[in-house]
Amino acid sequence: MRGFLPFLGHRLFRALIALWLVSTVVFVVMRLSGDPVPLLLPPDAPHSEILRVRAELGLDRPLPTQYGVFLGNVARGDFGRSIHFREPAFRVVLGYLPATFELGLTAFGLAVVIAVPIGLLSAMRRNSFLDHASMGLALVGQSAPTFFLGILFILLLSLKAGLFPTSGRGDWTHLVLPALTLGAFSMASIARLTRSAILEVLRADYIRTARAKGLSELLVVAKHTLKNAAIPIVTITGLQFGTLLGGAVVTETVFSWPGIGRLAIQSIYNRDYPVVQCTVFLSAAMFVVINFLVDVSYGLLDPRIRSH
Amino acid sequence: MIELTRREVLKGMAGLGAAGALPHILSGSAQAQTTKKRELVVAQGGDISKFDPHFSTSSNDIRVSFNIFDNLTSRHPNGKLYPGLATEWKLEGQTTYRFKLRPGVKWHNGDPFTSADAKFSIERTYDAAAKTMVATALSTIDRIEAPDPLTLVIHTKKPDPLLPARLAFYGGQVVPKKYLEAVGNDAFNAKPVGTGPVRFVSWVKDDKLVLEANPAYWGGKIDADRVVVRSIPEAAPRIAALLKGEVDVITQLPPDHGERVAGNSATKVQGALYAGLYVLAVNSKRPPLDNPLVKQALSLAIDRDAIVKELWRGRGIVPSGPIAKGDNHFDPSLPPLAYNPTEARERLKKAGYKNEEVFIETTVAYVSNDKTMAEAIVAMWRDAGINAKVEVIEYSVRAQKNREKSFKGMFWSDPTSTLGDPDGMMWRLLGPGGPQDYWRQPRFDELGNAARFSVDEKFRGGAYREMTKIFLENFPWIPVIQPYEDYGVQKYVEWTPNPNQQFEIRRFNFKFHRA
Amino acid sequence: MGSSIPVFAPTDARPLPAVSARSFARGRRAAWLALAGMVFVVLLGVVAVAAPALAPYDPVRQSLRTRLAAPALTGPDGQGHLLGTDHLGRDVLSRLIYGSRVSLVVGFAAVVMGGLVGGTLGLLAGFRGGWVDNVIMTIADAQLAFPFILLAIGIIAVLGPSFPTLIVVVGLSGWVAYARVLRSQVLVLRSREFVDAIRGLGGSAGRILLRHVVPNVMSSFVVIATLELARAIVLEATLSFLGLGIQPPTPSWGGMIHEGREYLDTAWWISTTPGIILMVTSFVVSRTGDWLRDILDPTLRGE
Repeated sequence: MRGFLPFLGHRLFRALIALWLVSTVVFVVMRLSGDPVPLLLPPDAPHSEILRVRAELGLDRPLPTQYGVFLGNVARGDFGRSIHFREPAFRVVLGYLPATFELGLTAFGLAVVIAVPIGLLSAMRRNSFLDHASMGLALVGQSAPTFFLGILFILLLSLKAGLFPTSGRGDWTHLVLPALTLGAFSMASIARLTRSAILEVLRADYIRTARAKGLSELLVVAKHTLKNAAIPIVTITGLQFGTLLGGAVVTETVFSWPGIGRLAIQSIYNRDYPVVQCTVFLSAAMFVVINFLVDVSYGLLDPRIRSH
Repeated sequence: MIELTRREVLKGMAGLGAAGALPHILSGSAQAQTTKKRELVVAQGGDISKFDPHFSTSSNDIRVSFNIFDNLTSRHPNGKLYPGLATEWKLEGQTTYRFKLRPGVKWHNGDPFTSADAKFSIERTYDAAAKTMVATALSTIDRIEAPDPLTLVIHTKKPDPLLPARLAFYGGQVVPKKYLEAVGNDAFNAKPVGTGPVRFVSWVKDDKLVLEANPAYWGGKIDADRVVVRSIPEAAPRIAALLKGEVDVITQLPPDHGERVAGNSATKVQGALYAGLYVLAVNSKRPPLDNPLVKQALSLAIDRDAIVKELWRGRGIVPSGPIAKGDNHFDPSLPPLAYNPTEARERLKKAGYKNEEVFIETTVAYVSNDKTMAEAIVAMWRDAGINAKVEVIEYSVRAQKNREKSFKGMFWSDPTSTLGDPDGMMWRLLGPGGPQDYWRQPRFDELGNAARFSVDEKFRGGAYREMTKIFLENFPWIPVIQPYEDYGVQKYVEWTPNPNQQFEIRRFNFKFHRA
Repeated sequence: MGSSIPVFAPTDARPLPAVSARSFARGRRAAWLALAGMVFVVLLGVVAVAAPALAPYDPVRQSLRTRLAAPALTGPDGQGHLLGTDHLGRDVLSRLIYGSRVSLVVGFAAVVMGGLVGGTLGLLAGFRGGWVDNVIMTIADAQLAFPFILLAIGIIAVLGPSFPTLIVVVGLSGWVAYARVLRSQVLVLRSREFVDAIRGLGGSAGRILLRHVVPNVMSSFVVIATLELARAIVLEATLSFLGLGIQPPTPSWGGMIHEGREYLDTAWWISTTPGIILMVTSFVVSRTGDWLRDILDPTLRGE
């Protein structure tokens, strides 16, 4: 285990610095982007009112002071009060989190459930029609812009075919289109990756031996291949999950899904600094944690990485 | 007022607010559909942000707060003031109003409503310590007395002919003194208690708000057990939800989709002529817009008929000046604003216009069709030889520019007639120190001030006629359209909307057609 | 997950796979495909440059009376709009043709910018190592952890939507890919003997960088740039779709999709035609990147 702990320590340190950088950038960009106060008051409010509300929100203090207060509070897990909702920002974000998780996990689940078998079948029936068709579709899925895919789904499956609701959250039918949209890219990537990982394994000697022993094709694949191909598949899916919010921002906007991606955009438009800071911090933290876990699992699974 | 009487006459017929603009609705739905529903689902274009009515004036919020809470006075869909929590009121002398309050009214938590609540509530709006967002709504008030539980005496600083009207709009929602003081602002905002026809049950942000009917409502229990408010920001899904029967009422129905909603067998368009105007407010301090001739040319170069007919599918009228049709002192004899590009070129020549850039800074969907109209108007101006440009700004930037008065040229405004009177519209916004104070003229100011503090309606009428004349030479606003506020409604719902953005569900304006 | 704006971040250089007959054949096929892809991009460029000659109408010319007209060879006014008109009566085909300009200009400018920034930082990090490397890579980590679309919205909120802002935002979004790949390639090269040998002969760092390292990383650079071009075009369209693109009346594909959304059910052609063109462009360009990778730089092959 020589060198592994220092390696992790180094990664952890860098991750913390990255988090600090992210929060600082959000802080600065949000303060530069404008004043939330005119949005709170009726348009005919006099200037004195604006000054009063600014003072009440602590926005009249010099930027460095505000920054100091912000960092101190974040260190204690306090993201301040939402300007728009008049309640703690963290509580606001927590309220939106279940919707995002519901969507993210479904998208992720759909991607895995659909993509892995497709990748598997494509690898087993290499160069068949199925292989070409599904890999072609996967390539399209990888390059289709999320927002346009969402629009196409709404147009074809919702407005024309009437199969699913156009937007919003509700029963499972509401979930299908946004989950497919959000999951499309991952689905395509996972399908392609599964196929090539399995092809790689199928070429390996022990598989040939197993085959020679007369084991059925399916059994061979099930017993050996998946197990060996699992590591890269799990890794890439883990990483994909980490960038959830990036994709959720667009998908949730297209489908009016009440999750943190949409909350984040709305909060930027509302200049609700605390909520933006809290959402970005949480999603960056999630990304960092997942990456860290991937690093750790790499280190545990593959000792060569440690010395790298 | 003709419009309003006609609406009264038509009451009960499907598609009544359409007032003839969509004739096939009237013929297509002689007998209305029926339902067994006990739940009314309303979809609006954005979610609420808070319940405390003194902390928000956004239209999404007040659509809800006007139903959880009541005001002392109430403006009905016909544009007139009716009793609310006050049953009657009278002016004593020049500056004292005496309100008699409604007996036997209970808050949603069972506490009785008294004059102490009303006094507390009004004082809270401008109490510096309460830090509300409606501190100026009722600031003409000097002091309030509550001599007995059902009497409220309000003294104004100067004569204020419009105080009862002010109390009907935002800031005027009455909040419970005892409950609020017991639980504090935050808990009240999280779990509001009012006297209104619906009470709060639950809210999942950006998803849905559930309200239930107040069975003991003084105005009678509404014809539903629950009211659900959903937020569907995009127009297309909002309309789809209506057409599929997922929701019963949608707000902000874009004019381009009226025909689809009207043509669908189960739905109809319900509209009310907006109590206000859509105008391009002008920063008259920026050359060349400081020259009245240039602004006259800009107004003359807009083909408003095309905008109304094509972009609004006929769902609006061409304004004649700064006073909205339906308001006090609206002059029906004034002609609609003219379109005359040749004359526009003449005035530009006379003004010595040297191809300076002229900007419209437009928002997207701040008011209905804003960006589309801005692009269309700029194209019309360019055709008339004006070097015009559109810039898209986001809503918060607009709010900030509004505060700093730093617009480059023109910007959309939808002056709402909050009081049914030019004072609450033209003078509130264009008056000295108002949010759109970019242009001053001594005579205009003199008249506006005198009319504000006069209780002589005849004098006020004369003042507003003269102000309109001055307005039409100087164009501090370039009025574009007085549109219909359209709603998409299931045919089994009978509901009459208010002409301002106030959205109210009461026994007198809403019922389900039942089998 | 989900982001159609793939973060192209290969972990580290891999050993060269053994060259087989099959991979050689695959290389030949890839070469033809890559060529076809590049021809497509060039054609798109020609369309963008020759837009005034190709477009049947002025893309900003409105006609309120013929708005929302369906695609037809001859319309109600006797004028044909092959792809219909939009909500202001503008010709969709003409706007589509002119819209390629925004996509290509923002795409290429962003690629150049991302390449310059990312390339320089990547070479610097790889070559200098130590704290310089740590600082640069930590910034890269931070950026990857940031939901970039939010940062872009924030920056555009500060600077206001305009051509330069878009280029800066889209360009900055892509530097990490270059930096990471170039850094790891430099690390590999640095460990090779010839660099040490040159150094031993008294060659300066700059000279080594220019004469030996840069030519060696050029092929990776080209591959990433192609993949980044696809990403930049999609990102620009995404921002325009969110209402953060260039100012009207200049047409852009994302902006057209945005404007047509309200009419999806009644006038599908406004949104879907630019959407399909965008999808095809993104597909062809990113595939070209993949094919180029197969030919030029098998070590980068992600699968």
